[in-house]
Amino acid sequence: MKKAVSVMVLVAVAALTIFCFGSIASAGEEVKMVGVITKIEIAGKDAKTATATLKDNKTEQLVVITVEDDLTLDKFKDHRIVEGDEIRCKYEVIDGKNVSKLFRKTAGC
Amino acid sequence: MSKKSVTAAVLGLALAATTALAAGVHPGKESIEKSGYKGPETCEECHPGSAKGFLDTVHWKHASKVTNVEGLNPKEEYGMKNRIYVMCNGNDIVNNLKEIPKSPVTGKSKFSGCNTCHPGNHLSDVGSTGAAAEAAVDCLVCHSTDYDFRQRKPFKNEKGEVVMGQDRSAKAALAIGKPTVKNCMVCHEAAGGGVIVKRGFTFTKDTDAHAAKGMVCVDCHKAKNHKMPTGHDPNNWANDGLFVSCSDTSCHGVKPHKDADLNRHCAKIACQTCHIPRTGGAFAKDFTVWEQTPDKFYEPTTLKKEANETTPVYAWYNGTVKNTPHFIGPKGSKKDGKSKITPFKIFQGKAYYNKQTGELLSMDFAQPMSDGDTRAGVLSAAKTLGLKNPEKIAKEAVPGWQTIYFGSNHLVTKTKALYCANCHAPNGVLNFKDLGYSDKEILKLTSPELFMEKLAQKQKEDW
Ligand code: HEC
Ligand code: HEC
Ligand code: HEC
Ligand code: HEC
Ligand code: HEC
Ligand code: HEC
Ligand code: HEC
Repeated sequence: MKKAVSVMVLVAVAALTIFCFGSIASAGEEVKMVGVITKIEIAGKDAKTATATLKDNKTEQLVVITVEDDLTLDKFKDHRIVEGDEIRCKYEVIDGKNVSKLFRKTAGC
Repeated sequence: MSKKSVTAAVLGLALAATTALAAGVHPGKESIEKSGYKGPETCEECHPGSAKGFLDTVHWKHASKVTNVEGLNPKEEYGMKNRIYVMCNGNDIVNNLKEIPKSPVTGKSKFSGCNTCHPGNHLSDVGSTGAAAEAAVDCLVCHSTDYDFRQRKPFKNEKGEVVMGQDRSAKAALAIGKPTVKNCMVCHEAAGGGVIVKRGFTFTKDTDAHAAKGMVCVDCHKAKNHKMPTGHDPNNWANDGLFVSCSDTSCHGVKPHKDADLNRHCAKIACQTCHIPRTGGAFAKDFTVWEQTPDKFYEPTTLKKEANETTPVYAWYNGTVKNTPHFIGPKGSKKDGKSKITPFKIFQGKAYYNKQTGELLSMDFAQPMSDGDTRAGVLSAAKTLGLKNPEKIAKEAVPGWQTIYFGSNHLVTKTKALYCANCHAPNGVLNFKDLGYSDKEILKLTSPELFMEKLAQKQKEDW
């Protein structure tokens, strides 16, 4: 029954983050922004972390985002994401760093 | 399949099996190191015919004959090349890659076009044939693990023609292997106008049971001479005539479970129904009203959700598709003996219809993208397609909605698969009435009588 219950709870509670990202960040602390990348800094092919500086479209402020997820790091490495790209980003402030939770190119149809 | 490519396939398999990921040990490496990479001709030395063969696939033609969709001409080919629907209200023809008019606000232009997701160079475009087309195939976009995507961008050549760039460096050609997930996702991740727009398609260990086992796209989509097997998504028509399904004997067969109760359900319920309980991506778009984005260009108003955030809709599906200007979706019924209850994402899109004929019209995005003028986009598309009285059509065009059912075939889970009470409780995920069950049947199908004993036993075991 344990399984059936957990399945039911999941189904009932529906759109939960556990399902999407496996991240347990509480939604409240997340900051959302759209901005253009002005700089990407990554230390080589095996780097496990990188920073990207985004210019916030609304405030024109520069925001430094720390990126740790493999998929986005890979896109920095093979240049699928480059300076000048516009990004939709969600980040969370952890130990003074803006750690990216979502980092996606905006794109039209 | 030629004898050569059979041995090739066998050898390739053996390679893949013995070395974790064959990347780096490609037998052609030495030769490429010596003479560099000149495009497909380099590969053809050892893999003759592969470029020519590629030209006869959906990935090159963006079209094929389609037999399971109503209202189509069986002699014509259909696909992204020429279809008109409301996930992307155009096609490769009306939205051919070009520079859009300058934004009246910023004075800037940009390249836009559907055929950027094509492994040609645009001079040899979707469906082109002949020697130039063969030489233009971008083998490395699917086969290299060291591709520099800064090269894969549109630009204008000396003659002013728009060219789609490719990475043809020896460096990229030295990293040849069987396509990785990333290779396929170059185009599949952002289909429909951005990441996770079309179908909430992520393929990571967190979102898919097969990815968690280290499987890649081509472990299931095993291509033969570059013809890729697909399924029967009501929204995605073009196919290479090869099909893949979970119950193929080489995969799981029709009795995959130890539990006979689950196996019995497979006759009426698609595997996806229990094993893909969520879907995602865009659920509504409006092509008649475009929103200005921060860069001052415009894009169609789009409502979207994350990969796993949407509850699917369940319908009987027999693999054939209803196709009208306002509806594209599954055909089937409880009674036809062929249909199974299948999960779908419902997507609804608003676009312009021809006032005279009631047909859905298409749109060239160049003008709307620049200044939001959507009727100008309809006019341009009507001209490109040679419709009579394009001005009149565009002026009188009537906004309306089309509903599309999207197949839901990835994001597979074992641990969160639907179990007895997910369906047979009164608040279960299936709407038995809509699915055609009688009140009497429903009473029975929503009674704990069906699962009480089993779940009680399981509860005992689990604790
Ligand atoms: C000097 C000969 C040679 C050249 C040049 C060559 N290959 Fe190969 N390739 C082979 C051999 C041999 C194999 C292993 C047997 C087979 O599959 O035919 C192979 C295997 C492959 C495989 C299967 C790999 C796997 O792990 O499943 C792919 C894909 C491939 N080659 C693509 C290419 C591409 C793309 C090019 C051009 C950039 C190319 N080859 C150039 C000889 C060559
Ligand atoms: C980022 C790559 C990409 C771009 C750009 C793109 N598409 Fe597609 N499109 C795909 C892929 C991949 C599929 C098939 C896979 C799927 O349905 O998930 C597809 C499928 C389609 C289909 C269904 C084809 C069929 O066989 O029935 C249509 C219609 C379509 N696209 C229209 C468009 C239009 C119109 C545009 C431009 C406005 C466009 N696409 C731009 C990647 C792209
Ligand atoms: C749209 C992606 C794509 C493009 C572009 C592409 N391939 Fe492939 N190729 C595949 C897939 C998928 C397989 C099958 C992999 C498998 O099943 O292991 C394959 C297999 C191969 C193989 C192994 C033998 C075989 O036929 O199965 C060779 C060799 C090969 N490709 C060469 C080429 C060459 C040369 C080009 C350029 C002319 C090219 N490919 C372009 C996707 C692509
Ligand atoms: C260059 C862009 C591009 C790449 C790379 C690419 N695809 Fe596609 N793929 C498309 C487009 C566009 C369509 C839809 C064409 C249509 O329906 O008209 C498509 C359709 C498909 C289909 C359904 C039609 C069919 O041919 O069966 C499958 C399955 C598929 N792709 C699998 C793959 C796999 C697996 C890979 C990686 C080996 C891959 N694709 C790489 C662009 C791409
Ligand atoms: C575990 C096997 C498996 C893996 C791995 C897999 N697919 Fe599929 N895919 C399927 C099956 C099965 C279908 C068709 C189901 C049906 O319609 O009955 C399908 C359908 C599709 C389609 C047609 C449209 C749709 O969604 O129904 C496309 C495009 C596609 N797959 C692309 C990919 C790409 C790209 C990857 C890798 C990121 C991938 N697939 C990984 C099994 C797989
Ligand atoms: C009525 C719902 C249902 C249907 C339909 C269904 N499954 Fe399952 N399946 C489950 C559940 C629940 C589990 C998990 C059982 C467990 O954990 O013991 C499961 C487990 C599995 C497993 C893992 C088995 C194991 O021993 O680890 C596979 C493989 C599988 N299913 C494949 C399929 C395929 C293929 C189909 C379609 C032919 C299918 N299932 C149809 C509910 C279903
Ligand atoms: C995906 C939803 C789903 C799940 C999960 C599911 N069922 Fe069913 N079940 C159905 C549907 C739909 C039918 C009716 C099939 C038909 O039309 O023949 C059915 C039929 C049955 C029947 C036959 C009822 C009759 O007509 O006499 C029994 C018994 C049953 N299920 C038990 C179970 C048990 C036990 C489990 C858990 C192991 C289970 N079901 C899981 C949907 C589900």
